[in-house]
This record gives sequence, C-alpha cells and structure tokens, in this order.
Amino acid sequence: MIGRPPWQRWFAILLAFAAIVAFDTDDARAEYGDVVINNYSDAAGMRPAIFPHWFHRVRFRCKVCHADLGFKFKAGGNEINMVKIIDGQFCGACHNGELAWSVENCNLCHSAKPGTPTQVHESTIQKLAPAALQKK
Amino acid sequence: MKIERVILPVLMSAFFGAAAAADAGKDLYTKTCAVCHAAGIAGAPRYGNVGDWQPRLAGGTARLYASALKGTAKGMPAKGGNLTASDGDVKAAVDFMLASVKAASASPAKPVAAAPAPAAAPVAAAPKAAAPVAAAAAPAASIDAAANTSGASAADINSFNRLLKPIGKRNPPPAEDGIHDPVNDGTVALMAPLAAYGPLPKSLAGNRVNWVKAIDEKKINPRWDRQDANAAPVVIDLNIVREVKGSMPDVVYPHKQHTEWLDCSNCHPAIFVPQKGANAISMAAILLGEKCGVCHGKVAFPVSECRLCHSKKKEFRPAQATAPATK
Repeated sequence: MIGRPPWQRWFAILLAFAAIVAFDTDDARAEYGDVVINNYSDAAGMRPAIFPHWFHRVRFRCKVCHADLGFKFKAGGNEINMVKIIDGQFCGACHNGELAWSVENCNLCHSAKPGTPTQVHESTIQKLAPAALQKK
Repeated sequence: MKIERVILPVLMSAFFGAAAAADAGKDLYTKTCAVCHAAGIAGAPRYGNVGDWQPRLAGGTARLYASALKGTAKGMPAKGGNLTASDGDVKAAVDFMLASVKAASASPAKPVAAAPAPAAAPVAAAPKAAAPVAAAAAPAASIDAAANTSGASAADINSFNRLLKPIGKRNPPPAEDGIHDPVNDGTVALMAPLAAYGPLPKSLAGNRVNWVKAIDEKKINPRWDRQDANAAPVVIDLNIVREVKGSMPDVVYPHKQHTEWLDCSNCHPAIFVPQKGANAISMAAILLGEKCGVCHGKVAFPVSECRLCHSKKKEFRPAQATAPATK
C-alpha cells in the first residue's frame, strides 16, 4: 500500500471504515425485539449488552419487568449500570445467581459487536428511518 | 480478535471473503440494482453486457464504486436508491455486475491479473481485517464464483418476493444474527430462537410466533410474578371498539389478551388515558413508536398485521348526502 498514490490509500481506508460501520450497524437480521443497550458499554471498553425479549417472554410476562421492576418502554432509557444490577435493581432482580445466572457471566449479556448503537432490533421505526438511525 | 483474523491463512480468507461478498453482492443486485441494470433503464449499463461496461471500466473499479455509492449526474441514484444498503454490499454488487462482463468477455484469466482495485471484494466480507493480503487474491475468486452462478442469475431477477427476507434468514442463531459478536465466547452459549420456537404456534410477522396463542394453548406459561410461579394475572375481559375513518374495519381493542401479559399501570394513564374518546391515536403515531406502537412494532406483532386490530366490519351504508346527520 505504501507505493500507491494518496487518494487510493485514502479510499482504501475509507472503504475499510465504511465497511466496519456498515457491517456493525446496518444488518437487520437479528431476532425481532432484541434490544441493544449501548449507553456506557463502548466507552467502557465492553461489548454493548443485548436483551433478547423473546427469551424472556417465554419465561415472564411483560408486567414482571415493565411494572414490578420499573423498566421503561424505551431502549436505553433506563440508565442501567452494573452498580444498580449488583444491588438488585433492573436485571439484577433476577440475575443474582439464584433466579438466573449472575453478573460474573459478563459476555452472555455484553455480546454485541462493538459499536452497535442502542436500538430495538427489527423494530418498525428502525425499518422506517434507517438513515436517521445510522447517523447516531 | 483482530489478530485472529489477520493470521488466518491467506487462501482461507480470500476464499471465504470472496464467497460471502459475492453472495451479498448478488442479493443486493437482485433486490435493487436489477431494476435498472437488467434492462438498461435510463442508460444504465446492463448486467452481462460487455459493450455497456467497457468504457466505464476504463476509469477503474474505484470510480465505479464511488458512482454506485454516491450516484452520478447521468441518473444513477446513490446506492441505487436503496440507502439502507451497506457500503460493502453496494461494492459487492458492483463486483457482481463486473464479474458478469468479465466472465462474458471470454478471457477469464486476463481480468484476474488486471484486477485493479486495492480493497475491492474483501471489505464486504471481512471488514475488520485490513486484509491487504486478501485483496490481491479475492477479485479472482469472486469472478469465479459469479461466473459459476451467472447462468442462474437471469432467473433470480424475476424471482418471487425479491424484497422480502429469505425464509432461511429468519430467526438466525445469535452468532449469525448480525448484532451479536461471533467472536465473543458468550455468544455461542446463548440459545438460538428457533430452538425455543419449535412447539409454539406460528404467526406471519415479528418473531413469527403467535405469543397470545402460545399462552392460550398453554404452550408457555410465563410467570406473572418474578418469584412466585403460581401467581396468576388479573385478566380483564373488556373490548373497546374504536371507530376509524375511511373504509378500514373498526378497531377492537381486547383487554383480555393484553392483561394476560401486562399490568394496568403499564398503559394507564401514561400511554392511554382510561376514558373513551380521550386518546388521539393514529397509524402515523403508532408507526413512530407511540401509543400502540410502544409495543406493536417493537416486540408485539407489528402493524403489518392490520386485521388483528382492524377486525370489526363496518355496516354497509350507501352513500347519502345526509349521512353526516346520523353521526
């Protein structure tokens, strides 16, 4: 790459960058309702967390999390952090080593590709306004 | 993880990279590009037509990529008008079209040596590997792959449902779903959706599971209380009918199915004021994630399933000048 003219190098870098961005954010194949939460993860060097709605609704009715535990109906809108979780709030109400596996299994939740933005995957709004979402 | 990718043998990365890129390119071509590039609408260079492509190839592949991505004054819209397509796929689609003319020009060995672009095919398949190693070999392989399939591509253009997600891509396992990181060790430990959906009743949208029916048929019994497996929901059997404009059937909102899952406080009073006529609901608001759209279109069945809500047939009323008076 060293001997190439600068525009070509620039283009190659741009391509690589564009591909990373595109492939990490623009792939609408995941399960309907999967929530990606990336409020603090990227900045902290962790993979963003993914909440699979489908898995949880097989086991719990919406009310358990959205009324009893106080999860708002808004992806990324709950300001969840690890301190709250180990203190038994939000995910920590169940993910405490008794009802469900505990917080030491970091990579089971923090499993998204780095850089994946907060979103409800496959949601209608995501399909309506993909360009707006990509700008985030 | 970058290190792992970089140390992959050159042959392996070239082969898999090119194969995946060719697939993505072909997909996008059939979905979007073929609308013009199959028949040459608005002067678009036709798929497989060497004469159309020859003058354009003179400018180099990189320039063709740029035209495809950003559009041209001659009429090519940016990304062919499909702005949701990723840059990598757009380039792969260009490669796919170029491969068709290279295969057709009856000298398959020559373009391999002359492959001009530094970062052509591999960016689509292996974006995180900077992959200068694969760059040289990949175009050759993608040409081969496209040449092998070019006979079938004519049929694909007019295939059914080209804009829909193929059946094989629904409910993929986490490692292949596009948002989970396949190199994360936790990802492989996660359950695949289809493993859970087997016994559940099917639907046509969303997860493609009919969750309401799943509870009705006792295929699942999700807990109403975090700890108490025997706690039962307070089900309210009350239908609310909303008369709607136009010819659409009126909406019947069933409290029953909703209270199977939700607490009153989930919807009332923040989302819906519990009073008849007090809630302005429109499909536009729902599409944007408000009102019913807080759940429907995100986790509950999406708005494509019109008839599940718009379920009460209107009485036939012949058009009359005095019709408004009856309201």
